[in-house]
Amino acid sequence: MRVIELSEIQEKDIDAIAVRVFLKALEILGGPRKLIEYRNLTWLPSLMVASYAVILYNESHKTADEIAQFLGSTKNTIRNMLKAEIEILKEKLKGEVEIPKSKIKNHTAGALAKLAYEEIKNGRENLEIFSHYLKEFSEIYEIYWPVEVLRSIKGLDFPINKQTLIEKLKYIKIENKNFLEIYEKLPNEIKSPSHLLKSIKESL
Amino acid sequence: MEGELLDKASLLSFKLLKPMEDKKIVEESIVSFKEGLKTAPRIEGIPSGVEGLDELFFITRFESGKVIKETLNGFPRYAVINITGVSDTGKSLMAEQFAIKQASIGNTTIFVTVESPAIFLISSLKQRALAMGINPKDIENNIVIIDAASYDNLREDISTLLDTLAYTIKKYKSRNVVIDSITGLYEGKEVLARIIVRKLFNFLKKWYQTAIFVSQKRSSHEEFSVEGAGGYAVPHIVDCNIALAKKIIESSYEEKLYKKPIGEMVRIFRIDGCRLCGHDTSARLMTITDTGLVVIGKSLSEVRKEVK
Repeated sequence: MRVIELSEIQEKDIDAIAVRVFLKALEILGGPRKLIEYRNLTWLPSLMVASYAVILYNESHKTADEIAQFLGSTKNTIRNMLKAEIEILKEKLKGEVEIPKSKIKNHTAGALAKLAYEEIKNGRENLEIFSHYLKEFSEIYEIYWPVEVLRSIKGLDFPINKQTLIEKLKYIKIENKNFLEIYEKLPNEIKSPSHLLKSIKESL
Repeated sequence: MEGELLDKASLLSFKLLKPMEDKKIVEESIVSFKEGLKTAPRIEGIPSGVEGLDELFFITRFESGKVIKETLNGFPRYAVINITGVSDTGKSLMAEQFAIKQASIGNTTIFVTVESPAIFLISSLKQRALAMGINPKDIENNIVIIDAASYDNLREDISTLLDTLAYTIKKYKSRNVVIDSITGLYEGKEVLARIIVRKLFNFLKKWYQTAIFVSQKRSSHEEFSVEGAGGYAVPHIVDCNIALAKKIIESSYEEKLYKKPIGEMVRIFRIDGCRLCGHDTSARLMTITDTGLVVIGKSLSEVRKEVK
């Protein structure tokens, strides 16, 4: 007989995850400053609603009806958010491909929240915020290398091959070891910044 | 100044008006009978695994002006059934028999154990399966256990339990849920019983699960009523109620009636309402066999007739 394991118990802070998705979506858009510059701050409420919708659907298994009721939105809006296509959004973000008319109605905030959720699931949090909090903890616990590593890998598009790291981290010292000593023990594919930090820790 | 214009009266009227603005018609909640009929589930029975119980639920149909009673051969599908009684009346055994029977016919059943940690429940289920003539290996993939006895957060936080249940229902495509006992979910906070039971009930309906709730009684409750811990919260919310009781033989009349010596115990079973279908309303003798299986017997009126 199968017993549900501790890791499968769905204890979640829905508000916190929704905020993480929201922040990641902002990062995908180029950060809040870009939104200010382009006078697009009015997008934010819709993005917050979409972040909650995606989390309530995927993590709490709520129906579109229940989500609409909770968020004070309509069932159709929530449905459109949930069925928004990430691929169309990616094309839109690149700005290179003309979106076919039939797909122009794709719910952008919904697709953004879905993409952000997918990124977070794969361990790719909003790096700015992640580094910011990590810096505070580094000072408390006097462990500085994770912040240094994160600062140095800014701009990398994960997943990456570990060779990409040599150029970025070759001068970094981690607990009195040169990065190149640790490098050999790292897995070939690094899925996300948190995967990198975890792999370095295990290699020490 | 603009602020001065907002005198007390206007503030008060603003406060009074605000709830009016919040009022909203919930259109989705309105269903026409005609539309509803298209999606309303058909009433059918699913085996309970308890000998003598399946034929006690029935539906009626009309044929040539006559009412025909048709047994459901089991619990009504999608029903949430509450089994209540004092200790040692066979509540958990009935719940286990249901889980094993359903698993043996290929219906995945989630067992939320709130009292006994998973490993002890598994031993019990194995024994029960053997007693029912079912090879435990044949059901091992069809019973999934959520161990709320060992993990406080599942017991103490209803959202965590519901999210875990949703995850498990989706992952294992379950059709039934057993919660033994539901009382353990509001231990020490019985005022919350109604809220917790209502949330669980709505959740199980949403996921189209047939469910068994085992609920415990307190010493102050009348033994053969369905009142349990948390008062009537559970029986009022669920679809069907089953009350179990036990009685010590104390007189020579009872000796004759139950064919057992003074000081022995008899168990009594009764279906106390089911809003989904018709059901037998008599109090019935119930036995627990030496191998630990619940069997429902004759009604007390039949037993009395035999004495005459």
